[in-house]
Amino acid sequence: MINQSLSMPDTPTSNTSPNGYRLVSIGQHAQILIEKEAIVRNTWLLLVLFFASIITLGSGTMAISPKEVVDVLLGQGDTMNQFVVKDLRLPRLLAAIYTGAAFSLAGCLMQTMARNRLATPGIIGIDNAAMAFAVSSIVGMSVSLAPSFMALAGAATATALAFGLAGGSGTRGYRFIVAGIGIGAIAGAVTQLLLSQVSIDVANSAYPWTVGSLSARDPFMVNTLSIGIAICVIGCLLFSRQFALLPFSDQVITGLGANIKHIRILALILCITLTGLAVAVAGPVGLVALVGPEIARVLSRYRGIPLISSALTGALVMMLSDLFGRTVLSPIELPVGIVTAVIGGPYLIWILVRRSSRSSL
Amino acid sequence: MTATAFKQKPNTFSASLSADKLSLKHGKISIIDQLNVTLPEGQVTAIVGPNGCGKSTLLNGLSRVHTPSSGVVMLDGKDIHSLPSKEVARRLALLPQDTLAPDGITIEELIRFGRHPHQSLLRQWAMDDQEAIKYALQAADLEGLKDRLLDTLSGGQRQRAWIAMSIAQETPLLLLDEPTSALDLGHQIEVFELIRNLSRQGKTLAMVVHDLPSACRYSDHIIAMKEGEILTQGSPKDIMTKELVRELYGVDCDLMPDPMTGSPILINIRRLKS
Repeated sequence: MINQSLSMPDTPTSNTSPNGYRLVSIGQHAQILIEKEAIVRNTWLLLVLFFASIITLGSGTMAISPKEVVDVLLGQGDTMNQFVVKDLRLPRLLAAIYTGAAFSLAGCLMQTMARNRLATPGIIGIDNAAMAFAVSSIVGMSVSLAPSFMALAGAATATALAFGLAGGSGTRGYRFIVAGIGIGAIAGAVTQLLLSQVSIDVANSAYPWTVGSLSARDPFMVNTLSIGIAICVIGCLLFSRQFALLPFSDQVITGLGANIKHIRILALILCITLTGLAVAVAGPVGLVALVGPEIARVLSRYRGIPLISSALTGALVMMLSDLFGRTVLSPIELPVGIVTAVIGGPYLIWILVRRSSRSSL
Repeated sequence: MTATAFKQKPNTFSASLSADKLSLKHGKISIIDQLNVTLPEGQVTAIVGPNGCGKSTLLNGLSRVHTPSSGVVMLDGKDIHSLPSKEVARRLALLPQDTLAPDGITIEELIRFGRHPHQSLLRQWAMDDQEAIKYALQAADLEGLKDRLLDTLSGGQRQRAWIAMSIAQETPLLLLDEPTSALDLGHQIEVFELIRNLSRQGKTLAMVVHDLPSACRYSDHIIAMKEGEILTQGSPKDIMTKELVRELYGVDCDLMPDPMTGSPILINIRRLKS
C-alpha cells in the first residue's frame, strides 16, 4: 500500500550512479552515464572482430598464418605476403566491415523507429533502386558512370520518391512504407527487364549488383562509406538519449519534452545515408540489416537499443559470410549476398522462433 | 488517513493551466470546439463523461500533445506551444493511457526517463536526479522493486511505476489519462490514494476517470463533458445529481451520500425508460 507518511529522503552525500551504469565525470560540467554491460559486450565484440579479421586476412588460395598476418600489418614480412594481405585482402575486408556495420546499424535504427523487428531500410525500396540504377549503368549506358555512383543516385532517388509520394505524412506513417514498397517493386522489375534485354555476357557482368558482392569494390566508394559510417556512429552516440525514447509512445516522448518529429527525421537520415553508401559499395545485402541487429539484441538480452553492438555484429556477419563465400568452393567465389541469405536466413528464423516472447519489437 | 507528514519538495512551485477557446480536431472531425477551461490550482480535477466525449482529446490538448486548430492553452500565462517543449516538460507531466515501454527495462530505468527534461548530453546524472528518483520510488512505494523488470510486475505496480516516472519529472502539474483503467479494485485504490498524496504536496492534478463514484470520492473538482462540451463543473457534492448522470450516460439512478466519507454514490442504476 502507499506510504502514508512520506518524508523527504535524506539528501545523498555523494553522487552514486544507478545500478548497472558507470558514471563518467569530466570536470564539473559533464556527467555521462554508460551502461556497464554495453562496455563489456562491445569490447568482446571488438576483440572477436579483430581476431576474425586476422584469420580472414590469412585465408584464401594462399594461406598465411596469423603470425605472418600480424607481421605484415606491423610493416614486416616478405613482399609476397605484403602484397596478398595489404593489396588484395585488406581492402576487401574493410569493405566487408564497413558495409556490414552500415547495413546493421541502419537496420537497428529502422527497427526501433518502426517498432518492428522485421523492418529494414530495404522495405522502403532503397536496395532495389540502387540495384536498378547500378545495373542500368552497366547494361544500358555502356558505363557512362561508375555503377557505384549510380547505386548511390538510385538510393537517393528512392528516398526522395518515397518522401514525395508519402506527402510528408511522417516517417512512421504507413504511406511512407507503402510508397517505399511500391518503389522497390518497380525498381526490381526494371532490373529484371534490363537484364532480360541484353546479351548474356553483359547480364553476367551486371549480376553481382543484383545479389550483392564484395569482389573488386570501388576504393573511392569504400573510403566515402568509411567516413559516412564514422559520422553516423558519432551521430548515434550524440543522440543516444533521444533515440532511447523511440520505443515509447508519441505522447510519452512529447510529454518528456523531446521533439518526436526531429528524432525520427534524424534517425531516418542516418538510416538512409548508411544504407545508400553501403549499397553503393556492395549492392543489396539487406539481410545483414535483419540478422545483425537481431544478434545484437540477443547479446544484450533484449535490453535497450544496441546500436553500437549492431554495427559490430553486422560487420562480423558480413566478414565471415564473405570469408565463407570466398573459401568454401574455392576457386569459385560465391557472392556475399548469397551467403548471407543461405546462412543468415535459417539463423534468423531460428532466433525469431526461439525468442519471440522476450521482445516487443 | 490524517497522519500525513509531508514535507514539500523544495522545488515544487505552483503552475496554472487553462484553455481559451480551444478547438481540437482529429483530421477534419471536430472533437472540441471553443472550449474554455481552467484547472483549479493545487486540486485534483476529474474529467468525466461518456466514451468519445473528448476527455482524452482535451487532456492531450492541454498537454500540447495534440495541436489545437484554434484557441490557446496557457501554461503560467503563456501559450504552451510558444514555450520550448523541454521547459514545458519541467512544469507539466502527462501519463498517457497506452504504456509502451522499451524492452527489458527495470523500474528504476523507467523512472529515470522522467528526468529526461532535466538532463542534457553532458549532464546525464546529477545529484538532483538521484534525489528525485529516490523520492519517486519512495512516494510510489516501489523501493523494494526498483531493480525488477517492468513486465514482471502486476498491473497496479506497473501503473505506480509509470506514475513514479511522472513524479520524478518534478512538475507542479500532472495530467493522467485513465490511470486506473484495467486495474482491479485494490489496485485502483492504491493509485487513487497516491494521487491524493501528490495533491497534498501542492501539485495540481487532472485525471480522466470512468468510474463516477471514484471521481466523486478522490477529486476536489469535477468537469463533466459530453460531445466535446462541458456540461457542468464544480465540487462533486455540488454538481452530482440524478439529472447529470442521466444526461451524461443515459441511465437513471439514485444518489446517496457515502456513510463514511459523505461523497455521492450511485445506487439502483437502471436503463432509462423511454
